[in-house]
Amino acid sequence: MRRISTLPVVAVGLIAFVALVVPWLGLPDPVQIDVPHRLSGPSWDHWLGRDEVGRDILSRLLWGARSSLTVALFSAVIACLVGTTLGVLGGFLGGLVDLATIRLADIVLCFPPLLLALLVVTLLGPGASTLIPVIALVYMPGFVRVAYAGVLGVRHLEYVEAQRALGVGSARIMLRTVLPNISGPVMVQFSLAMASAVVLESGLSFLGLGVVPPAPSWGLMIGAARSTMAQTPLPLLWPCIALTITVLSMNALCDAVRSAVDPHGAVPRRLRWLLPPLPSGLSLAAKGASLAVRDLEVAIDAKDAEVRPVRGVSWEVAPGETLAIVGESGSGKSLSGLAVLGLLPLVARPAAGAALFEGRDLLRLDEPALRHLRGADIAMVFQDPMSSLNPVHRIGTQITEAILVHRSVSRRRAWQEAVELLAKVGIPDAARRARSFPHELSGGMRQRAMIAMAIANRPKLLIADEPTTALDVTIQAQVLELLAGLKAEEGMGVVFITHALPVVAEIADRVMVMYAGEVVEQGPVAEIFARPLHPYTAALLRSAPPEDGSLPQAIPGTVPLPQHLPPGCAFAPRCAHRQAACEATHPALEDVGPDRVTRCLRWRDMSATAQTQQVTA
Amino acid sequence: MWVVRRIGVAFVLVWIVASIVFLAIRMVPGDPAEIMLSQGGVSPDAAIIAELRDQLGLEKSIWVQYRDSMRGMLKGDLGVSLTDQASVARQVFTRLPRTLELIGFAALFSVLFGVPLGVLAALRRGGWLDRVVMALSGLSLAVPVFVVGTLLVLVVAQWLEWLPAGGYTPLARDPARHFAQMVMPALTIASSLAPVLLSMTRASVIDVITRDHVRTARAKGASPPRVVLRHVLRNALMPVVTVLALHLGTLLGGTVLVEYVFNYPGLSGLLVDSVNARDYPMVQGVVLVISVLFVALNLAMDLIYGVLDPRVRRA
Repeated sequence: MRRISTLPVVAVGLIAFVALVVPWLGLPDPVQIDVPHRLSGPSWDHWLGRDEVGRDILSRLLWGARSSLTVALFSAVIACLVGTTLGVLGGFLGGLVDLATIRLADIVLCFPPLLLALLVVTLLGPGASTLIPVIALVYMPGFVRVAYAGVLGVRHLEYVEAQRALGVGSARIMLRTVLPNISGPVMVQFSLAMASAVVLESGLSFLGLGVVPPAPSWGLMIGAARSTMAQTPLPLLWPCIALTITVLSMNALCDAVRSAVDPHGAVPRRLRWLLPPLPSGLSLAAKGASLAVRDLEVAIDAKDAEVRPVRGVSWEVAPGETLAIVGESGSGKSLSGLAVLGLLPLVARPAAGAALFEGRDLLRLDEPALRHLRGADIAMVFQDPMSSLNPVHRIGTQITEAILVHRSVSRRRAWQEAVELLAKVGIPDAARRARSFPHELSGGMRQRAMIAMAIANRPKLLIADEPTTALDVTIQAQVLELLAGLKAEEGMGVVFITHALPVVAEIADRVMVMYAGEVVEQGPVAEIFARPLHPYTAALLRSAPPEDGSLPQAIPGTVPLPQHLPPGCAFAPRCAHRQAACEATHPALEDVGPDRVTRCLRWRDMSATAQTQQVTA
Repeated sequence: MWVVRRIGVAFVLVWIVASIVFLAIRMVPGDPAEIMLSQGGVSPDAAIIAELRDQLGLEKSIWVQYRDSMRGMLKGDLGVSLTDQASVARQVFTRLPRTLELIGFAALFSVLFGVPLGVLAALRRGGWLDRVVMALSGLSLAVPVFVVGTLLVLVVAQWLEWLPAGGYTPLARDPARHFAQMVMPALTIASSLAPVLLSMTRASVIDVITRDHVRTARAKGASPPRVVLRHVLRNALMPVVTVLALHLGTLLGGTVLVEYVFNYPGLSGLLVDSVNARDYPMVQGVVLVISVLFVALNLAMDLIYGVLDPRVRRA
């Protein structure tokens, strides 16, 4: 639990303190009538003046705080104790007790709160002694609900079950494990009940059904001052201000308690960050490449420090070529793909580098200009087609949208094209399927629809971020086949981001292996598979299920988090070939042959081993 | 099947509520007839008490009373008022449409203020616009409705004389005055409802904006207004509608203070008057009708949800 912010606590504390010490402040009698001096303005003896029958307003205001807070406190405490007990009992004992308590709460919730209060007041008559049980009754179901839900949440947790198994009695379990666990939500509910009780008490008193005159109450004061407010508005304004400030600080306290109990990180503000323009005179040219990424860095502003989950990554794709970016989760491969199109998650931003596409740097292109490229010249297919398609729009509508935002064709023509696209990606009965909602299609169909959407404007480059990961194996093969066919047909460049190496062998021309935010090896697919020059690549190859049916070898350990990178080679802690030098120096990316780079101090040894292995094999 | 069960539950709830209201009046310590007649501290005449007891049916056994009362309700007969012998059902159904109209306008104002401002605050979250909107919304939520109403009457009606201070004119008699009288009460209710919708919209939009399908929409090259309207708002409105419906339900009995402040002859006003006059049959009738509407509203919402989201039906 985080610390509760102090300001609301101080404000509520101050109001409570005033209410507590009112009797010793030496104020005039709040019910002393002095008709000759009615409605007199502020004076030395009566700081806020007198009301419509000559009573001291300041005194009534402070005594009113006392009665308001007393009613609110007692009713909230009663509601809390009774409600929480019922909820805990119902949740823990189950069966009939459960039914009785929860249904009781549901029935009370059937009555609008003010209505319930009015009904009880009718029966018992107005007065503070009625108000407390009434308000307690109104806010009790909230506590029942919160406690009940909390108990159900922890009831089947291992440690509670374990205690049961150890023979600890139900009552003990409730007191020692369940109550501390639900204390957070109950506290939130309590502050909520307090604030609402103040409002409800003043409202009922305002109607003349709460605190009985002449006892002071803010609701009564407002009600009484109404008749004279046109001539003298001040007697009306003082209790209004007092009531508003009290409720405001109680609400603030309520929010503070809630955010302390249930912390959510600060929400990021901007949708997209642009890099500052390059210094003039410095230009980056890319020849023959459709897209060339140079020294890309992605930064995430964490609470205490900035982390860089992608560092110094460069790659390029030629038209008609497929580049596979491979790596485990956390290697930064998806972020490098998203950064190019300005689609990074809200917390991340590009920090350095360039992404050149047809002579323009995508990382420095403003949003409107980049928007005209997205979905037109560069399209993207995402990992999970279920969450990536909008659940409330039809498939056809979503594809039509991709067409309509980039080309001025009629809606009907666009729909017709959408149906043709669906047929092209192999969806049977495309005209009917176009009218389906995403949840009505199978996973494979959804991904085909995603691909249809991506190729709607015949893009020059397609970035596919794990397009087959969420699909089962047979569907994976079909989708890969589809992508390969489309690439050949349309002549587009493809960036294929994946963690599955077997897929790479089928589809890619070149492979780039990423580890912990850096490129560790790059080269033509056949060479990489035959002669990996980085131990990580070799380990990845061994971790893929071999075709002969033997067991794959998992890589021990996990990818280090960007804030906990080792000083030397990032892979060293998991590497079977590591030496002392690996843990001391960070290896640079080396050219190791035509169109091949690797980031390993021992690549020559790796190369030798690979050759001997080939010989022995 | 699911629909039948859900409707069955609603009927049981209505029956329980009706029984509780029936029992509540008979659970009051002492003789209700005597209490009703004892206002002002004067001991009532025994003959008058006996007459009232007979009129309330208190001489019969409680089971007979219960049976008669339930049978009456089924036929739409809620008894007669003690104060003026008028039919409770007729009174209630004259007042009900007025309250519903008031709630309707309040909901309209709340949506008009709450939803666009909530979307704006969400899109500029953390910025100064967000802070200003949220601070105003918090203030609006903190000021109790009867304070807002009273201050509106003071400023708008009495000082500026822009709008009538209250009252009700039938639409047929004077449409302009009818709507002029509607503005302030509806705005007053909206002052407490709009902030709720606003924070719900804001939270919901912030949640939806990080979803994958919004990224897909951006990847298509859709413009920001298009992304917000078609892909964010459309998906974010569901919880907002739920909250609105829930609050409309509570407003059915929650307009008491507003109707009182603006002297608006709605259902809640009838209730307060009956409470003050200890008119038990009238109180019973009003509470019953409001509770039935409340249950019906929740039922309608559940059914609509079941249609929109097939998963609900299995729960």
